[in-house]
Amino acid sequence: MQKRVLATMAAALLMGAAPVASSLAEELIVYHGWSSKSEVAALNVLQEALNAKGHTWKDLAIPHNSGVNVSLVNLVTGGEPPNAFVNSDPGVFRDLQGLGLARDLTDYYSEIGATENFFPIIRELSTVDGKMVKIPLFMHIDGMVYWNKDVAAKAGVDPAAWTSVDAMLADFPAIKAAGFVPAAVGGQAFQVGYLFHAMLAATAGPEIYNRLYGAEPDPAVFDTPEVRKAIEIVRAFSNEATPESENRPWNETTNTVIAGQALFHIMGDWMKGEWLAAGKVPGVDFGCEVIPGTKAVSVTSDAMGVLGGQPEAIDKAELDLVAAFVDPVVSARANQQKGSTSPRADASTEYQDDCNKAAMAALSVPNGQVANPFNITDSDWHNAIWTVLYDFWSNKSQTADDVIAGFAENYEAIFG
Amino acid sequence: MSLTIAEAPVERAPLFPRKKKGITPRSIAILVFLAICAAFFCVPLYVIVTTSFKTMDQIRQGDIFSLPLPLTFDAWWNAWDSACSGIRCDGLKVGFWNSMAILFPSLALSLALSSVTGYALALWNVKWANAFLFILFMCAFVPFQIIMIPLIILSSGLKVYGTVWGIAIVHAVLSMPILTLIFRNYYKGIPHEIMSAAMMDSGSFWRIFVEIILPMSANILIVVLILQITSIWNDFLIGLTFGGLGTQPMSVVLANVVITTTGEAAYNENMAAALLTAIPPLLIYFVLGRFFVQGITAGAIKG
Repeated sequence: MQKRVLATMAAALLMGAAPVASSLAEELIVYHGWSSKSEVAALNVLQEALNAKGHTWKDLAIPHNSGVNVSLVNLVTGGEPPNAFVNSDPGVFRDLQGLGLARDLTDYYSEIGATENFFPIIRELSTVDGKMVKIPLFMHIDGMVYWNKDVAAKAGVDPAAWTSVDAMLADFPAIKAAGFVPAAVGGQAFQVGYLFHAMLAATAGPEIYNRLYGAEPDPAVFDTPEVRKAIEIVRAFSNEATPESENRPWNETTNTVIAGQALFHIMGDWMKGEWLAAGKVPGVDFGCEVIPGTKAVSVTSDAMGVLGGQPEAIDKAELDLVAAFVDPVVSARANQQKGSTSPRADASTEYQDDCNKAAMAALSVPNGQVANPFNITDSDWHNAIWTVLYDFWSNKSQTADDVIAGFAENYEAIFG
Repeated sequence: MSLTIAEAPVERAPLFPRKKKGITPRSIAILVFLAICAAFFCVPLYVIVTTSFKTMDQIRQGDIFSLPLPLTFDAWWNAWDSACSGIRCDGLKVGFWNSMAILFPSLALSLALSSVTGYALALWNVKWANAFLFILFMCAFVPFQIIMIPLIILSSGLKVYGTVWGIAIVHAVLSMPILTLIFRNYYKGIPHEIMSAAMMDSGSFWRIFVEIILPMSANILIVVLILQITSIWNDFLIGLTFGGLGTQPMSVVLANVVITTTGEAAYNENMAAALLTAIPPLLIYFVLGRFFVQGITAGAIKG
């Protein structure tokens, strides 16, 4: 028995060594968490581009949407780190840089002429501590209005004609009278939080937004008319919440619009995937626009990083991967599949639908973009904002004053 | 001795013979209670099963209790054969075979390790046996997450990180405390005379184990087998953490198929995938369930 155990151990040792020895220099491990149809279609475009550079893609999919990304840490610890990994959290890049990993791409981007072609907000989102370490892949706008054209016609309203959020809210009674839910909402802290930050950016603009969501929030901003206004808008939306919206995921919420029960949904433009999966055509079956009267759009950049610090051949291959993924044509095609918009201002317009065009227009407005809170906000503070707003959402007896008091109290607890 | 035996995990209470009685308020209350308990599990299960047979168009209508019209098996076939886990769209079957490849080495290692340890601790005079048992018992309460990073470093030092054997070793080690206790308690019930007689016939440690003790352990082996198959099959974190590339168990593939952050969700496929993943342990319960109860009761009554 003992011998047998030893033999198994020996066999295990041999088996463990084999894959390491056989991996080729040009095989790059790409770690991500994307498995839905539109995401995989986008990945296939990227894979093709990598293959065109003569390298192969070894896929490692693990679902992860927590900022900390435990699996990545584990892989690095176990000595089998991926060459490219999807992550947007600056903290993860800082940790990796502490280990001499997460390659600084600042010089390489200038060399291949990518830097000046990224949207300014993308340059900002891709930079951690003054170094461009991220490969921007897919750019999403956190709050876009997608509406069902059929319902709009039946209800006799035209969302494209709205010039402000107030005009949007003013149409709510007419929509309800026609028997539709005006705004589909999902009662989850995440959806309420996203609605609020998108609305704040849209109605108050970058200055107020960054004072609330910046790395060091300014407590003087809590009790301003602009923040109050955004809170009131959240209340107006919470009044539309139907009982079944409680804890409803965003997918299902979007589906109530697709199914013709509600007129529109304000969500990140990733909801386009749901529409396309249902066989709907942008511009024909559904319309899309940024929040009416937008002063600024909040932008999420789904980004990758590359390891760096590898043997020369692999380092070279990793840079090839970067060049392949930020190529304007590849980027445009991949983003078309994913439902997002290319982070490059010079991306080929041939691969853009109506929704992309609306997004591109909003991104070309000078000083009209802000970063998604996950990229800039202290995570405790961000959580606190979500909690306060979700309480407000669920408890109709709370007023804007309660939210402002809640902000102040949490600010004191976190930064005080 | 009988005290320690009572500590063996009893998942189902032994069935007591029922006395024939008429309908009393008490029995009605019990029936209602049981019906509520059953509904607690059956209603979600009903939703899962019906959703898996629906088309996405019907699911978008949002009525989760409706019957599938038209009825379609596409979601099941897609989940098995073509659902995407990352860039690879070969369905859950990839994870199924990976899970199988993980299951057998893990089972063999954990059963071998803990049965021999239990046997030695129960029937041989091992120095510090009680102290060792105490430490083992304490280890059963250490959460895996706490020792995860050190284990990764160890397994990477042993060059088994990222392989099926890495997963198997970690399963074997982590299940050792509780399984050893089960085996030890069971073997404690074997009369000392048997051991004495075996030793007089000059049986060695291994020979007694293989020729006398193992043939007597069928019941407990089945109990442990069921416990282990279920826990290995349902495990997510160990397979994910120690599997590395290409050895992702079915639970991880399932998570890839089902979890979506910014992608669209195919609920019918997700439900079918969840059911497919749950089938193997269920089958084991149906096939071996009878022995499970026998094994548990044998362990509890003996000694």
